[in-house]
Amino acid sequence: MTSLAYIDPGLGALIWQTAVAAFVGFLFYLKKTRDWIVGTILKIFGREQKPVTPVTPKISAAEVETKNDER
Amino acid sequence: MSGDAPPQPSFRDPAGCCLLFNQRVLRFVAADAVAEFEKFLQTGCARQFVAARQLASTRRLMETEAAPLRETPELRTIFEAQPAGAIFEHERIPFPSYPHEWPPEMLRAAGRLTLGLARAALAEGYGLKDATPRNILFRGSEPVFIDALSFERRNPADPIWLPEAQFVRAFLLPLLANRRQGLSLAEIFTTHPDGLEPEEVYRLCGPLEKFTPRILSLVSIPTWLSRNSRPDNANIYKPRLLADPEKAQFILASLFNRLERHLQSLTPASGKESTWLDYMVTHSYNDPAFAAKEKFVREALREFSPARVLDAGANTGHFSVLAAEAGAEVVAVDSDAACVDAIWRRAREKNLNILPLVVNLAQPSPALGWRNAECPSFLDRATGRFDGVLMLALVHHLLVTERIPLEEILRLAYEVTNSLLVIEFVEPQDDMFRRLTRGRESLHASLNMAVFERACAAHFEIVRSLALPGTSRRMYCLKRKPGAG
Repeated sequence: MTSLAYIDPGLGALIWQTAVAAFVGFLFYLKKTRDWIVGTILKIFGREQKPVTPVTPKISAAEVETKNDER
Repeated sequence: MSGDAPPQPSFRDPAGCCLLFNQRVLRFVAADAVAEFEKFLQTGCARQFVAARQLASTRRLMETEAAPLRETPELRTIFEAQPAGAIFEHERIPFPSYPHEWPPEMLRAAGRLTLGLARAALAEGYGLKDATPRNILFRGSEPVFIDALSFERRNPADPIWLPEAQFVRAFLLPLLANRRQGLSLAEIFTTHPDGLEPEEVYRLCGPLEKFTPRILSLVSIPTWLSRNSRPDNANIYKPRLLADPEKAQFILASLFNRLERHLQSLTPASGKESTWLDYMVTHSYNDPAFAAKEKFVREALREFSPARVLDAGANTGHFSVLAAEAGAEVVAVDSDAACVDAIWRRAREKNLNILPLVVNLAQPSPALGWRNAECPSFLDRATGRFDGVLMLALVHHLLVTERIPLEEILRLAYEVTNSLLVIEFVEPQDDMFRRLTRGRESLHASLNMAVFERACAAHFEIVRSLALPGTSRRMYCLKRKPGAG
């Protein structure tokens, strides 16, 4: 995949973005660990874990119409 | 992308170029980028952007349509210089405008759209390869992304968004400098088409200001890092791919959230420095005079039904709204950015077809860019483009403050409109006129209604006029005389 990005990515700004990305990457692992711990505890107590990042279900327009018809 | 000048193709993007030819917006896409471009246009996100009127619609020309274009003498040289794989056509946005003509709220709206599209496209594996306000035009008050070729497939393991620095330079730092240092976007973008470098804003900040959270993150730290790094260190620019694409997406989502928060917080200054923002409350008309003026304008709009109207000296857009409600596509210009911001907010709230721009008619935006051909001047775009022009409570400002001769003002109106001119004449005895002359009354001693009407008659036919009761002002409805230039 060759990027045709031709704009000036800056110097200080790019280093800063990379540094922040490294820090956020560390937060990602913390979040994963937290999710795993919470998931394990809930499993022990027999409850399901709520999805951490709610995602809009991807359904097509046709499916929406079918569901509306069913109603 | 306007006017009838020889086609000037864009040239920065190696994947293709775009030009205006015979009032059509054509895009030549290089052979190795065609497949990817077409794939993007077929994605759900691209279709969704077009349906939401956020992305200019695009279609590939059939070979039967493209072949005559390839043979056109004006375009042949462009084909030879740029090996074109395919020709696409974009929808044309009625009146192109540029960041140096926008008030801060419009730049913010353009930034929000850029981030929104970049974030939404990420879900389908695409990203923006640049983040410049030049990718945005306004259809009325709605921002529209016009450069579909800016979308490219991203490596899902790449946590870095290369255009972030450009987004900061071209959106966030101009808004910051406008809010804190009072620099207008016209001052910034006419001399810095790609926005402001962090180093430039750093020099404008006070010693303590450099440590406030927003400036620290957008300006100070990038400046310090830039000063202490070797610019020839190629390692900085090497892609850093992560083993876990989910982590890369998490990092990018956090970057977009951060940029959105910055954009959200950079609301324009309140307009306290504006002289004209409260004009509609403080103007010198009595109620019957203002009602008569409004009725006169409404009737002229009803009689001529102009499809495109230029409201010159629009203030907060009271008469632009009348024109838009009468069905016209309106371009409202004023030199006061706070007033133009107010028009934009009003047009957005009422969903009116008004494009408000910060333009001083006495110093209209010049042509900018390479060979002065990348952004045509305001007058290049405006000449002959309107069926109606409103010049309400404006002429005395041009006559007195700017010292523009009356004949010149009418000549400009003649060049811009194809049909209607509604103009307000203010006698030199008027309070506002006297306030502007500041003791130089003798300069305008010979100006009176007869002189004004004689000057109008050189280019226009006087359809009717009306004295506004209790004032020394008079409204004129004029019809352009063909061939009177």
